Amino acid sequence: MRREQTLADRISGSALWRSVVRHGYPDTQRNQALIIASNVFLHIHPVKIKRYATKVTYTFCLGGLSFFLFLLLTGTGVLLMFYYVPSTDLAYQSMKDIQASVTFGQLMRNMHRWSAQGMVIAVFLHMCRVFYTGSYKPPREFNWVIGVILLVVTFLLSFTGYLLPWDQLSLWAITVGTEIGGSAPFVGSQVNMLLRGDYEIGQNALVRFYTLHVIFLPLAAAFLMAVHFWRIRKDGGISGPL
Amino acid sequence: MADVAQELPGGQQFPPNTIDEAKRQRLLELVRGRAMARPTDLAEDEVMVWPSLVVVEAVCAVVFLLIITALSILVNGPLIDRANPNKTPNPSKAPWYFLNLQELLLHMNAGLAGVIVPTIALVAIAAIPYFDRSPLGVGILGTSAKGRKIIAFTVVYCVILLPAMIFFDELSGRTVFGIGRYLREQLGMPELIYNGILPAIVLVALIFIFVGIIKAIFRPTRRELFIALFTGFVATYVILTISGTAFRGEGQALAWPWDLLQIHH
Repeated sequence: MRREQTLADRISGSALWRSVVRHGYPDTQRNQALIIASNVFLHIHPVKIKRYATKVTYTFCLGGLSFFLFLLLTGTGVLLMFYYVPSTDLAYQSMKDIQASVTFGQLMRNMHRWSAQGMVIAVFLHMCRVFYTGSYKPPREFNWVIGVILLVVTFLLSFTGYLLPWDQLSLWAITVGTEIGGSAPFVGSQVNMLLRGDYEIGQNALVRFYTLHVIFLPLAAAFLMAVHFWRIRKDGGISGPL
Repeated sequence: MADVAQELPGGQQFPPNTIDEAKRQRLLELVRGRAMARPTDLAEDEVMVWPSLVVVEAVCAVVFLLIITALSILVNGPLIDRANPNKTPNPSKAPWYFLNLQELLLHMNAGLAGVIVPTIALVAIAAIPYFDRSPLGVGILGTSAKGRKIIAFTVVYCVILLPAMIFFDELSGRTVFGIGRYLREQLGMPELIYNGILPAIVLVALIFIFVGIIKAIFRPTRRELFIALFTGFVATYVILTISGTAFRGEGQALAWPWDLLQIHH
């Protein structure tokens, strides 16, 4: 007996809908496989997975959480970019404006700030989880190396963002931070000049940190993440007991 | 032959003369199973990613979005006075995740603490899988009961040793427990030796002593030895970060966290 066609059936059966969504309602294994395989965002996953890999107490969701925070930071960061001006004259005032006059500006700024702190912690803990479950062992050696580079990029992303509010906290944290980098043997003063673009932290440093923070490092992180995720699957999926 | 009734499994009989000899085929065996492998065939220990994994991810994303949103509503990110290059705050501190390096910087040459030690640490961490290649223990948190004991021992060891070292080096005026001062004042050695090579020797010696203790107590496999070393790194990172963040006041002198609250915003 055919049930009556509902409005939902008509919409999901229409040519327009079918041109976008290629699979039926995912209540059969076939459609559950298609929804993963035919969706550009979901096809990062395999269609099926070992049961232990879905256990939260195995991964603690830390890698996924790091990625989620990266996406959240990208979203809130783009919104902040509409108002933030990377100039030593205007940066601090634009921060004040974001907090005081922009609708939801304070919330976006806070979410960006706390997500950034959270991402540093999540990435570090993710490294610990991968280490303590022995997941770096062959054939996953190179993905571990990429992960270590991603940890460094995460530190740099957070560090370059630290200067942008252009308050006393920013200026002196970056002064101390770049001095640490500038203490490198033999190339210290060059490293310092490369980071600051000047002898002191001023307009040149702000533009450098801004460019690194909003374009270069996010692209580098995205590129490395693509390789990192791809290799999880190529190296046999998430690690598990033998 | 055609007259004889054919017996089939289950005792049923075909009536004679009903089988067309030209079209007759022999049944060899009945096999229960699927016609062919399909991409959605699940093994015993497998689940479909949709919904089994996707639902976990979705719930995690929602939970953490709510946590971050709630935190952001309740606590504002810090924004203090406008940057002023002529007014140096005391103490000036790097972002918290670099305060471990800043703490280390107090005890030795800046190049050693700020660049050489962290670079070696990162390269060593990246190189772990090229030295620990046996697949034993993969997928088990801490590998084994012994591995988990080693983790606990290392954490306790670092929690006792590192604060004690920070405290005693502070008492000696940050001169590598006074040895550095002796080299400088009595033997007139240069900064590179009493503040660079000497603390480097101390660091290497500490690692070797630690490895010796672990080997003597636990007789570890290579994996378990790496667990000890990595745990030592994590514990050191955390302890130095806490020390640099919460226990360093004016002039980077040791102070109680509650005394720092007046300076920090």
